[in-house]
Amino acid sequence: MPRGSALAAGLPASQLSTHETPEALVAVPGYGGGPPPPSIPQPPVSNARMGMLMLIGAETMFFAGLIGAYVVFRFGSPVWPSGHLYLPVGITWVNTGFLLFSCYTMWKAMRCIKADQQQPFVRWLAITVLLGSIFLGVQGFEWVQLVHDGLTISAGMYGATFYTLIGCHGLHVLAAVLWLGIVLLQARRGKFSQQRAIGVEICSMYWYYVGAVWVVLFPLVYLN
Amino acid sequence: MSEAGAAAAHDAHAEHHELGFIRTYIFSTDHKMIGRQFMFASILMLIVGGLLAMMMRWELAWPETAVPFTSWISEPFMYPADEDSTVGAVEGLSEFVDPFPGANFAKSLGSVGGAHMDPAFYNSVFTMHATIMIFFVVMPFMVGGFGNFLIPLMIGAGDMAFPILNMLSFWTAVPATIMIVYSFFVEGGAAAGGWTMYATLSADPTLSGVDTGADLWVISLLILGVSSLMGAINYITTVVNMRAPGMTWFRMPLVIWSLFVTAILLLLALPVLTAALGMLLFDRTMGTSFFMPGGGGEPILWQHLFWFFGHPEVYILVLPAMGVTSDILSTFSRKPIFGYKAMAFSMIALAFLSWIVWGHHMFVSGMNPVLGTAFMLTTMVIAVPSAIKTFNWLGTLWGGNIRFTSPMLFALGFVSNFVIGGLSGIYMASTPVDIFIHDTYFIVAHFHYVVAGIIFGMFAALYYWFPKIFGRMMNETLGKVHFALTYIFFNCAFFPMHFLGVAGHMRRIYNPLQYEFLHDIQWWNVFITMSAFCLGLSQLIFFVNFIWSLIAGKKADKNPWEANTLEWTAPSPPGHGNFETTPTVYRGPYEYSSPLVKEDWLPQDRKLGPEVVTASQ
Amino acid sequence: MMQWLPEDVSPYGGSIDALFYFIYYITAAAFILVTALMIIFLYQYRRDDSRRAVYTHGHTGLELVWTIIPALVFIGLGLASKSIWEEVKLNVPETDVEIRVTGKQFNWEVLYPGPDKEFETDDDYQVDNDIHVPVGKPVRVFLGSKDVIHSLFMPNLRFKQDMLPGRQIEAWFQANKAGTYEVPCAELCGFGHSGMKGTLYVDTPEDYAAWYDKRWPPAETNGGDASAAETTEEVLAGGAVMDAETMPEPEAEPAATEEEAESAMEGAADSAAQEATE
Repeated sequence: MPRGSALAAGLPASQLSTHETPEALVAVPGYGGGPPPPSIPQPPVSNARMGMLMLIGAETMFFAGLIGAYVVFRFGSPVWPSGHLYLPVGITWVNTGFLLFSCYTMWKAMRCIKADQQQPFVRWLAITVLLGSIFLGVQGFEWVQLVHDGLTISAGMYGATFYTLIGCHGLHVLAAVLWLGIVLLQARRGKFSQQRAIGVEICSMYWYYVGAVWVVLFPLVYLN
Repeated sequence: MSEAGAAAAHDAHAEHHELGFIRTYIFSTDHKMIGRQFMFASILMLIVGGLLAMMMRWELAWPETAVPFTSWISEPFMYPADEDSTVGAVEGLSEFVDPFPGANFAKSLGSVGGAHMDPAFYNSVFTMHATIMIFFVVMPFMVGGFGNFLIPLMIGAGDMAFPILNMLSFWTAVPATIMIVYSFFVEGGAAAGGWTMYATLSADPTLSGVDTGADLWVISLLILGVSSLMGAINYITTVVNMRAPGMTWFRMPLVIWSLFVTAILLLLALPVLTAALGMLLFDRTMGTSFFMPGGGGEPILWQHLFWFFGHPEVYILVLPAMGVTSDILSTFSRKPIFGYKAMAFSMIALAFLSWIVWGHHMFVSGMNPVLGTAFMLTTMVIAVPSAIKTFNWLGTLWGGNIRFTSPMLFALGFVSNFVIGGLSGIYMASTPVDIFIHDTYFIVAHFHYVVAGIIFGMFAALYYWFPKIFGRMMNETLGKVHFALTYIFFNCAFFPMHFLGVAGHMRRIYNPLQYEFLHDIQWWNVFITMSAFCLGLSQLIFFVNFIWSLIAGKKADKNPWEANTLEWTAPSPPGHGNFETTPTVYRGPYEYSSPLVKEDWLPQDRKLGPEVVTASQ
Repeated sequence: MMQWLPEDVSPYGGSIDALFYFIYYITAAAFILVTALMIIFLYQYRRDDSRRAVYTHGHTGLELVWTIIPALVFIGLGLASKSIWEEVKLNVPETDVEIRVTGKQFNWEVLYPGPDKEFETDDDYQVDNDIHVPVGKPVRVFLGSKDVIHSLFMPNLRFKQDMLPGRQIEAWFQANKAGTYEVPCAELCGFGHSGMKGTLYVDTPEDYAAWYDKRWPPAETNGGDASAAETTEEVLAGGAVMDAETMPEPEAEPAATEEEAESAMEGAADSAAQEATE
């Protein structure tokens, strides 16, 4: 129906709501023989991706709270020992390398499944799981050493913030490794394909996120 | 709706197989059943929280006398009453109690299974009253219950985006609820540091004398945080991705807007609380000292983290009630909501501003006075969107054709209480005035008008959507009586608290008569307590109505209120998959008294042909 | 309602009370306006099936009006509050009367510096719950806490300030009328929170001099040795007043020491943290 008809129907334009402007009426099917309702196209961000993005948002607020507390203590103290004094910074540099490289292998795996290359996909996934496990192993070893040397969570603010921040990140890596392990098992059974890669994709989003958090935490806690 | 969503709704319909009892009523993935589960759980907790309030009120009106019906509570919490310890036995108390009507009644009641309350237990009681009412009543009822029930129905979706996550969200909340109730029964009793759990009192068990109970409190809220996180992810995804064809952002009902904004706040605010709770738990159990100055910690950091979460939390609580009120006012005024976009944007503004006002809880905490000024100014700004909402509600009433149904009455009650709560907030926002009224009953009055006022929004929602939720109508007469009594006694109970606060009555004290300067106003405490008891008793009418209507209420039509929004086009109660066919939305949600049609309502999904327009000429 | 604001005896309380009344009138006017409109609308526009509701979606002009007017009022209030807040908090008058009040479960520990005006010297006098100040003179008060957060609340002085453990907060007050006033704790501090209160004795110059001379006899200005006997007298005279020495140690103490002992091994890290709290 042309715009004029609504006005012809005796309705002053001002009386038509902003929610039902004459233009809108024209677009409405059945009202004036217009086209069928424009079905909303596939949402730009799928449910699963969006859910993961929101989880990441929430996690960011969680780490922001912890980091905020760390910053308060770190910069509120007149003296704060450098990370080099207590922490095995050298090994952790290497470990950081492992974690960042695992993000790269994860990305490679995603590339492969998008290209429907099952064999390299599974291989890259396996390497990612391996790297993640190495990261956790090194961290665990580091912690044992630190506790042995007397840096426990209750030994002053330094230990408390260290174990809380790095521990929370470690738990996230652990969760991510376990999840990725499940994805790896599914991948070996051929559950994923070019079209059906969402399960890997959201897992990879989380993996990148965990790596990104480390990129923030490592300089903050170890290098200062 | 997305194709995927449409397909899901279709599948659900096509399947038609009967689910077993457990899948239908217990581990259900149907958003409507999960919503009902949340509602029932929170109504049960409402009773617990309400009874705690009654114990508190008794103690305040007739301090250190026997509290009736409490002798079953064991020794460290309640002590057996001896003969002469009923009301009036405490020296100097009679003169305050006696002149007041009901004193004799109270005296005789104190001897019925009465026991004395321990001051430490009183602290547990108000701590748990607040915790339960905030986290286990208002949040699960409005966000968990109505959020779940309404979001898919009102945007024309078959279910939530993640039904299993939705089920998990409820079943994660259950252990949290059990844990918080169980904390009363562990040695040392329940948490007693106030719901704000200020460190250092909360961070070291030896300071409050509560050990396991407070640990359970922390763990319970940590678990509840996970539950809320799952809910929030679900709500946001559903609203963004699952809207029916034609349901544009600005055709969404305001209650969906409010729940959407609430979900965003939940998503971003609760993790901060989680971080703070984690540190508190470490302080309590692992020997860290994040909040203990002895080990280099900072007690005020807890307050910053807590209120950074806590102020958005206030809007998490109140926004859904605002949304519900907007919908109900429009429906029963038979008139479009006044200034739809202003309403939606003011909610968004509230959500944004709620992140930068937390310091107004801390004006006398020892925070830098210059920061105090900054937080005062942001707080003054956040009052503006609330004012806009109030005036727009008035604008909605103007020129309406108002039907005084029980949901409408409760919605009006919410507006009226919100006005008082909002205006009393201005006193605290002003830093110099806050010096005096901070931590007094003025604050207690203020947040009860806002947060306890939400109960009007809850009742409005329940009376309004009851036919859709349970397929039966609630009794209107009982509903109106329930409203009248609730409204009167609510105001009698909470308004005089302003007077107490102005006189300097501190909050969280269990015996006001320990202070000479409070003696003259003690009779207000008696008055408040009597009103609170009447408020509590008035709710019996609701429970009778609720249960009776569930069993034998009049069967409800699809659209008993002649409302526009999509949920009223589904059967009452809607089956699995909600809609027989996916609705298409042609207009905004509030097209009441539209000149286009003869009736005074025009559903969102109704297709209008040219002949309708002709007829309306 | 108004007459229940406790009597104000402070120099700035008048401004605070005036601001309170100002907000009271504004909010009362807003409340009456909104409530009256609501009642009128509810009556005027009650259900009448012979007519239709007005079909309108709003009015931008009106909405702007009720956005801008409250915004202006709030800005005005903010500015008024700001100046009074600064008067109270930032313009600290010069004074030579200083005391230190430390909260502990569940008493106020009051420390007077004595004639040498220095804290933590031999002539200090420490007493629980008993604050003596001269009338009409500003008093600088250093607030701290031994265990949990307390809040020193003097309703008649419009004074309230939280006391944080591990931190000393400086504040001031002035009482312009002699008398005794209750000093409750306003922040939940544990099972004994209710009933935690002290007494503020605002003494006339003569009374204050008498109290002062009794405490520190003019003959022996460094009379720390004489205080033991007088403390007893004070206890007897003051009734509820308790001597600090007879008070049980706050429960926090052993915990804190334990932590210190534990953390001592953490050398540099720990000492840094300790210093942060000083």
